[in-house]
Amino acid sequence: MRRHLNLIRVFLKINLQMAMAYRTDTFVNILVNMMWLGWELLSLSIIFGNTQALAGWEFGDLIVLLGVFRIVNMLMFIMIWPATEKFNTSVRDGSFDYVLLQPVNSLFVVSFSRLTIWRLWDLVLALVLILSGLSISGGNILWQNFMAFLALAFSGIIIIYSLWVVLIALTFWFTKFDNNVTILHALMDAGRYPVMVYPFWLQLIVTFIIPIAVATTVPVQALHGSLSVLQVLMYLGVGAASFVVAVLFWRVGVRKYSGASS
Amino acid sequence: MTIENIIEVKDLSKTYKVSERDSGFKAAVASFFKRKFKDVKAVDHVHFSIRPGEMVGFLGPNGAGKTTTLKMLSGLLNPTFGHAKVMGYTPWELRGEYLSAITLIMGQRNRLSWDIPAADSFLLNQAIYRIGDIEYKQTMRELDELLELGDVVKKPVRNLSLGERMKCELAAGLIHRPSVLFLDEPTIGLDITAQARIREFLREYNRRYNATIILTSHYMADVTALCERVILIHHGKLMYDGALAELSRKIAPFKVIGVGLENAADYDLTGYGERTVGENGDAMVYLRVPAEQATSVTSRLLAELPIHDITIADPPIESVIEQAFQG
Repeated sequence: MRRHLNLIRVFLKINLQMAMAYRTDTFVNILVNMMWLGWELLSLSIIFGNTQALAGWEFGDLIVLLGVFRIVNMLMFIMIWPATEKFNTSVRDGSFDYVLLQPVNSLFVVSFSRLTIWRLWDLVLALVLILSGLSISGGNILWQNFMAFLALAFSGIIIIYSLWVVLIALTFWFTKFDNNVTILHALMDAGRYPVMVYPFWLQLIVTFIIPIAVATTVPVQALHGSLSVLQVLMYLGVGAASFVVAVLFWRVGVRKYSGASS
Repeated sequence: MTIENIIEVKDLSKTYKVSERDSGFKAAVASFFKRKFKDVKAVDHVHFSIRPGEMVGFLGPNGAGKTTTLKMLSGLLNPTFGHAKVMGYTPWELRGEYLSAITLIMGQRNRLSWDIPAADSFLLNQAIYRIGDIEYKQTMRELDELLELGDVVKKPVRNLSLGERMKCELAAGLIHRPSVLFLDEPTIGLDITAQARIREFLREYNRRYNATIILTSHYMADVTALCERVILIHHGKLMYDGALAELSRKIAPFKVIGVGLENAADYDLTGYGERTVGENGDAMVYLRVPAEQATSVTSRLLAELPIHDITIADPPIESVIEQAFQG
């Protein structure tokens, strides 16, 4: 554990250096990101200029949801995109061999070795959104609901991560599979709004196939106490199970890679 | 395994399934729907054992199975059949202790990150291999001294020359002081000076740490400079395992003389030596001549024919090996 924390520290340091080496890029990225946030808030205020609630959700709730969505989205940008890019390249040019020959868990290295650090800035924005959303909607939040919210948000992130692991592990079977994460990307934005606003078929997809709704809508529901204890436990169970499945799938993939690569 | 042998390989075999199809559009479409597979024996029941501190050259033409063997020994590939023990470990179990004691360095693959200086990648390796600060500094000092790294490690890797990069790759692969080194074409693409420096380094590393080194190379000079013992593989089969001196006596008493000659077809060159194929298919005519006659044949050629260019070289390693098993 200590070793892995130490490794994450070194990964962060190296990636920070890389971000600084490309400082114009970093600066422009932060600017663009701010503009996106402005756009998101503008579109929400336009919606609420015309109506009081969206699928039963009030303005404050949607701001909280947007905050949660941005945290999940941040995970995508900090870790999943850069790691995918690096992983795909490394399988194609063979440098993945070196990852396997290091005495560290290969999935850990693949997940954390390439990070887009400046995106951490999003965390501040997201927390501001969540807190202001809570204060807009007013009313007291029960502490057990708040704990459920945190646990479900974490478990939701784990589910998205696990799905990603399975998708990139497919590369071990189909060497050329650069579009592995495109589907994740395509549906990601659906997490911006409560799942109830979508047509039924899309709700099914974003709940069961690419479970982005489980990572965004569900935690905010828990915050308002609209989930039963059983539901909360069930979602947490799904999170834990998907992680186990993903890790096993990765292992099988690595074994397949060692069996067939030349 | 016995104590004397650090590497024991027995019946090691690897068969790949390769999809194959005929050329042409129709075959391409057919293979899109139904793949035909062919078994290719990359390594076929190979046996050998290696003592600690030995430097062994792995020779063989492209596709002979050298890289596959190295990959199995380092643990990257599972064999189809047979077994291997390195330092008592079965490589492909990929045990942490095993991986910490070996290294695989491939001349054609990058371990270092492009965008950051090598020194930062070294620090990453320090964390990965859990090397204490004092030991790390000591190792870096020694590697710096042996490889003359200097300021090279402070520049982003993408700005380095091939030779500089290879030095850094070697350093990165050796920070954890492995006692068994698998080197796959470590000098490929380097100029003569850089090749010589890498060789010098490997010899010194072997001497200092009594490291066991298995090396594949296309450059005969790498092998002759470093290895007393060579293992020859051809079509996945072990063809020769023994002293290099023995091997050269068997097959190297030839030189290849390249002759630049206008209208070469007009001349009968059979009196000078056996026609052979050049390496790069240029306009030169190549003759295979017994080594001890090389000088005299050259002077005869120059005296008797209107020659505008001439080269003398050792036969390329592929043809040496080819010859070893034909004759």
